[in-house]
Amino acid sequence: MRCLCLLPTGILIFLIVGVLVGLFVHLPASSILTTLGSEEIAFALRLTLFTSGAATLIAVLLGVPAGHFLARQQFKGKIVVDTLIDLPMTMTPLVAGVGLLFLLGSDPVRQTLDRFGIQLLFTPWGAILAQVLIVTPVMTRTARAAFAAIDTRYEQAAQTLGLKPVQVFLRVSLPMARSVLLSGVVLCWARAVGEFGATLMVAGATRFRTETLPIAVFLNISSGELGIALICAWLLIMTGFLVLLIMRWIGTPFSDEPTVMKAER
Amino acid sequence: MREFKWSLMIVGVVLGGVLFFNPSAIAAQLHIFAGAGLRQPVDQLVKAFETQTGHRVFIDYGGAGQLLARIEAAGTGDLFIPGSLFYIQKLQTDGKVQTYRPIVQHTPVIGVNAKQAGRIKTFKDMAQPGIRLAMGDPKAMAFGRTAMTICENSGMKDAILKNVTVYGATIKQLALYVSQGVVDAAIIGRTDAFQNKETITMVSIPVEYFQAEVIAAAVLTSAADSELAGQLAEHLSSDTAVAVFNQFGFLPLDEL
Repeated sequence: MRCLCLLPTGILIFLIVGVLVGLFVHLPASSILTTLGSEEIAFALRLTLFTSGAATLIAVLLGVPAGHFLARQQFKGKIVVDTLIDLPMTMTPLVAGVGLLFLLGSDPVRQTLDRFGIQLLFTPWGAILAQVLIVTPVMTRTARAAFAAIDTRYEQAAQTLGLKPVQVFLRVSLPMARSVLLSGVVLCWARAVGEFGATLMVAGATRFRTETLPIAVFLNISSGELGIALICAWLLIMTGFLVLLIMRWIGTPFSDEPTVMKAER
Repeated sequence: MREFKWSLMIVGVVLGGVLFFNPSAIAAQLHIFAGAGLRQPVDQLVKAFETQTGHRVFIDYGGAGQLLARIEAAGTGDLFIPGSLFYIQKLQTDGKVQTYRPIVQHTPVIGVNAKQAGRIKTFKDMAQPGIRLAMGDPKAMAFGRTAMTICENSGMKDAILKNVTVYGATIKQLALYVSQGVVDAAIIGRTDAFQNKETITMVSIPVEYFQAEVIAAAVLTSAADSELAGQLAEHLSSDTAVAVFNQFGFLPLDEL
């Protein structure tokens, strides 16, 4: 069995390392510092951190209660709602972005937003909205699985001891699902950091306004500045690497040992 | 030992599959890199070429700059058809182009959302306060560069750029913004306005502000069969091909 598993593992590692080496050897060593210090890249990094952070926060605020609701409540048409929430995960982000563009560009929505002075299209807020659409289903799905795995008897016991439903949620369900939820947060954030298609359609590719790191990669590849694009790409890769390391450090389900086993010790 | 045999069998099946589907084992094949905005006429012409000759042609569509980066990085492909000669000349200086054949012109126009047609009737109107414009990124796309030159030559660059609410990465993205009415106008290709007649009104740009871009088919030095690639370039630049391009709103070169 060991031999049978070794080959696919080797192929996988070869592929990943091959891609990283390919991206690394083409890095323009002489201009790394200049590029990293450039105002455009600093802006793209700041904007990426801001939009992905905000999108993750919104995804948590929407996804965790939604996940809890879907895990605990039974109602007619639940299967449809469940599938609908998952749908954006199967959509190409570019298509999701075009859909969002159609929605925000339609006369009634546009006029309503204008009345309140809200500008979403072609602004960083539009980038956040696009990322929220893409990452919230991930958070909802993770939260649903986390809450579904908790034995409901703990919640029932807490309720019989006099806690109100909100208190049960905050003091029992949430702490018990903490590690899985945390992994969901990290996954959402990592997904938001790399989001490109939907952001491009809704926010555009305006340098120093809506240029996130993935858009900077695309713009620089399109303008033939492969070196700058690769440096941006490495910033994204390092971010992802850091995130995965943090996940292992905090002991989420992505760590080597199952959380349940750790709890039992 | 038994597991080792299994591993060998899997490797054998994978290798067999790769060899079986190896493109070079099937027939003569050509690989084209073409500007995303040229998709409709190029698709139609390539299909006719395949039917006539029996050869397979694979077309890779994308932004001209992006395609250029790919050709330079990968060093493969037979033909390159960007929306501007600028990109062919760039490859030519690197010695990566054998020959090229001009096909049609890529004329810029102002695409105005049909509902805003009353507000933007001439080029000057783009500089009016309150007009929302989309513009192509001048570094990333051919028409972004053209649009910037037009603005500079008009002497109204600052006023026009003040009205730009979004920069796009492809010409189709700009056309979508205009046709959806999320911006009032954008400098796009005549063909994009032509193909969205119901939602986009075309306003001409004074000819002294620009030089129309030329669409051409370049045979790359990396072409596996230069003669065959040349044959396809000839097919794509024939009178019949110009007529097909014309159906999609591209103007012949003699109208330059």
